[in-house]
Amino acid sequence: METHTRSASTYDVLRAHGVDRRRFLKFCTMMAAAMGLDATVVPQIVEALETKPRLPVIWLHGLECTCCSESFIRSSHPIAQDVILNMISLDYDDTLMAAAGFQAEENRKRTMKDYSGQYVLAVEGNAPTADGGVYCTVGGETFLNILQETAENAKAVIAWGSCASNGCVQAAKPNPTGAKPIHELISHKAIINVPGCPPIAEVMTGVLTYILTFGALPELDRYGRPKMFYAQRIHDKCYRRAFFDAGQFVETWDDEGAKKGWCLYKMGCRGPTTYNSCPTFKWNNGVSYPIGSGHGCIGCSEENFWDDGPFYERLSSIPVPGIDSTPDAIGAVAAGAALIGVGAHFISTEVRRAAGKKIGSDTEAQGKEGR
Amino acid sequence: MATSTHEFDPQAMGQHPEQYFRREYVWQLPVRITHWVNAACLTVLFLTGLYISHPLLAPSGEAVHHFVMGRVRQFHFAAAMLFTVTFMVRVYWFWVGNNYARSGFPYVWRPQWWADLFRQAADYLRLERGHVHLGHNSLGGATYTVFVIFLGWCQIFTGMALYSESNPGGILNRLFGWVLPLLGGSFQTHMWHHFFAWGFVVFAILHVYIVLYDSTQYGNGLITSIISGYKFYQKGDFKED
Ligand code: SF4
Ligand code: SF4
Repeated sequence: METHTRSASTYDVLRAHGVDRRRFLKFCTMMAAAMGLDATVVPQIVEALETKPRLPVIWLHGLECTCCSESFIRSSHPIAQDVILNMISLDYDDTLMAAAGFQAEENRKRTMKDYSGQYVLAVEGNAPTADGGVYCTVGGETFLNILQETAENAKAVIAWGSCASNGCVQAAKPNPTGAKPIHELISHKAIINVPGCPPIAEVMTGVLTYILTFGALPELDRYGRPKMFYAQRIHDKCYRRAFFDAGQFVETWDDEGAKKGWCLYKMGCRGPTTYNSCPTFKWNNGVSYPIGSGHGCIGCSEENFWDDGPFYERLSSIPVPGIDSTPDAIGAVAAGAALIGVGAHFISTEVRRAAGKKIGSDTEAQGKEGR
Repeated sequence: MATSTHEFDPQAMGQHPEQYFRREYVWQLPVRITHWVNAACLTVLFLTGLYISHPLLAPSGEAVHHFVMGRVRQFHFAAAMLFTVTFMVRVYWFWVGNNYARSGFPYVWRPQWWADLFRQAADYLRLERGHVHLGHNSLGGATYTVFVIFLGWCQIFTGMALYSESNPGGILNRLFGWVLPLLGGSFQTHMWHHFFAWGFVVFAILHVYIVLYDSTQYGNGLITSIISGYKFYQKGDFKED
C-alpha cells in the first residue's frame, strides 16, 4: 500500500491526496482541542505534520476481532480515514496491506531493520501464552514470538484496545489460551494503553498526533493510559448525571423513567467505574453513545469488564466458586443468622430463668488466673 | 449471686467482701467519645450505603428540583471522613490511654489468651457467670479486632480508594488508588466494600446483645460504663484488664 516516499511528511501525503490546506488546518485545530491543548499548540501540530517525516508504524494483530481497526478507519473528521491512514507510514498491517505471505513478513523485517529504534509498534489484540503460544500463529510463527521480536527495537509500543491493554474477552475467566495483555509480555519499553472495545477513533488519532508532534508519549496515568482521554469517568460527564443526583432511576427497560431518559444506574450502568471519553467524542461521527441510546455503559475500557458480573446488575457476585450471590444477599443472610443466634441464646436464658435456675451463677474458683 | 441490691451492712461487707461491688474508672473520655461517634457514623454509613446501592422511591418531577442521591452521598462521605478521623483518634489512644484502652489486644501467641477465649465462649453458651473482666475479655477483644478494627481498616481503604476515583492523580488517589487494581478493579472493590459493610451489621447485633446480656446478668454496669466511664466489680473479677 506504500506509494509515497518514506520521508514525505503527513502534509505532503495529504496534498497528494487532494486535501486542501484549509481542511488540513481544521484537522490540526480539532486535534489540539481533542487533546485538551490550547490554541497556541496548533502551530506546533501544523509544523510537525508539515515537516516531520511520517511515523513508521508496524501494526500487529494478535487475538482480536479487528474492531479497533474498524473504529480507526471511521475517524470522524471530514478528512476522515484518508488522513488517518496517511498520517502514519503504515509499513506493516496484516489486515490493511496489499502484500501477503512472505512478501508481507519481509516488509515487517525490513522496517524493523531500516527504522530500528524509530518505528512505533502498534498492537491490536493480545497474545495467548498457554502451550507455547500455539493458539495464535502468523506465517507459522507464534504471535507471542513475533510480538516480542518486533517490540525489541521499537521506539514505543501502543496497545490498542482492551485486548492489548488489559486482556478483554479472550483473557476473561477461565482464559483457556492464557491470553495476556501486552504490558505483561513486553518489558523495558514505553507502552501506552488505549483501552476500549474498541477505543474511540478520535482518541486513537489523538494519540498518534501527539506522538508525531511531540516525539514522545503523552502523560500516562497509573494504568498506562493517556491522561488526556482517560482522566474522567463516563459518569463524570454523563448528560444523565442530573437524574442520578436527583435520585431518578430507570427500573425496567420500558418504564416511565426510561421514556424520560432517567439515569441507568439501576440497570447496571458501569459509567461510575469506567474511564473513557465517550460522553465527549461520542461514537460514529459524534452521533451518540450507549447511554445516549438508552443503554447503560458496559465498562468496555476497564480491566476484567467481562468478568464483573451481569451487565445489567449494579453489583457483582462474590468471587467464591459455587456461590452466585451478591455481597448484599450474603450479608443479609449473615445478619439473619446472627439474629437467630442471639435470639436462641436469649430464649434459652429465659427458659432457664423460668425453670428457676440461676443465671450467671458463680461457678468456679475465682481469681485463679490473669488474662 | 450477690448484687448491689443488698442492704448495706458494714459488718456483712467485712465478712463477705466478694458480695459487694467496687467502682473503677475504666473507659476514659476519648474512648467513650470515639465509641459513640463511631457508632453514629457506622449507622449513617450503612443506611446511606444501602440507599446508594439500592436507591428507592424516585422523586417525581424535574431533576432540577431534587438532589436525593447527591445529598445521601454527601452524608455518606461526611460520615466516612468523620469515622476515619475518630478511628485514628482511637488508634492513637490505644497507645496513650490507660491500660483498659489496650485491653482486648489479641495475644494470639499466648496459650492463656486462647484459654480465656474458649472459656469465655463456654461461659456464654452455658449461661454461667464465669470470670468477669473489667476491660475486654479475649472473646470480646477478638471480636473487636476482627469486626471493628480489621473491617474498619478494610472500609477505610476500599472507601477512600473508591472516593478517590473522581480525581485520578489527586492526593487521595495517590494514597489509596493502589487498592483498586489489588482487588481486581473498581467494580470488584465496590463488591468488597459492600461485603465488609455487612460485617458491621453482624457485629452490631452480637455486640448489643452481649452487652445487654452481660449487663443484666452480671449487674456490673456495663452499659452505663460507656457513658460514665465507670464499671463495677466484685472481688474475684479480673481488674487488670
Ligand atoms: S480490544 Fe476488544 S474490541 Fe478491540 S479488537 Fe479487541 S476484542 Fe475487539
Ligand atoms: S446513566 Fe450511567 S453514567 Fe450516566 S449518570 Fe447514570 S450511572 Fe452515571
